[in-house]
Amino acid sequence: MTAPTVLVVDDEPALVDVLEQYLRDEGFTVVRAADGPAAIDLFERRRPDLVLLDINLPGFSGTEVLRRMRSVRDVPIIMLTGRVDEIDRVVGLELGADDYVGKPFSPREVVARVKSVLRRTGRAAPPPSHERYVGEITIDSVAHEVRVAGKPVTLTPTQFKILDVLSSHVGQTLTRDQLLERVSADGDVFDRTLDRHIANLRARIEPDPGNPRYIVTVFGVGYKMVYPA
Amino acid sequence: MSRLVHEIRNHLAVAVANVEAFRDGVLEPTPARLAAVLDALQQVETLLLQIPRGDPEH
Repeated sequence: MTAPTVLVVDDEPALVDVLEQYLRDEGFTVVRAADGPAAIDLFERRRPDLVLLDINLPGFSGTEVLRRMRSVRDVPIIMLTGRVDEIDRVVGLELGADDYVGKPFSPREVVARVKSVLRRTGRAAPPPSHERYVGEITIDSVAHEVRVAGKPVTLTPTQFKILDVLSSHVGQTLTRDQLLERVSADGDVFDRTLDRHIANLRARIEPDPGNPRYIVTVFGVGYKMVYPA
Repeated sequence: MSRLVHEIRNHLAVAVANVEAFRDGVLEPTPARLAAVLDALQQVETLLLQIPRGDPEH
């Protein structure tokens, strides 16, 4: 099953960064464009399953982009707009966008709309939600499977628990005590062995275990998982 | 006036989305991203100053 692709079109990179990461976390493939011509180009080459489209773009306007996309292929389009006066026209019959989100928005809300429009239009289903994605690492907390760049990786139960806990709190430092408490319900992991479990885990999932990009040490505190830069 | 409001909403969108991502642990609040949020808020401030003043409040 391939992940649905979402094309995000907005001329504000700091906004697209946020949408891109939220969508990636939900298992979508994301392609991005900052202006109308690039959007049309990617629309034809990457064949996205859904488009998030800002209404005000350099090059030509979002409404013009929408018209051109619709003339190529019928794909669900959600408009992003700071102009409340445009909404009726955008979602109405004239342009026929599938939905809109007013700026400023909650990125979680945008992801919810994306999933809902995909369901409603019977397109690619969202990927199963028990999979988490951190960079190139996929963690399936139900099947207890881990893949790195698509390749399955075998972990011990303790290594899996550590990765499961850290990956559900990406960006957040967990103290040694917090990790031990969550990983070791039956007391089989002791403080002094935690570092060794982490080292073994890094050896299996890090591209360069001596210079970790995913599981970083927060000296004097504990560990945290991060998106690789 | 509607152009101003639109621009303000656009800059606020950058600030709100980023701060929410920091809160959710989805993005790291790197110096570059914090600078982008600050810049967006400063743009909002600049735009607010351009809104024509109505009658003073009593």
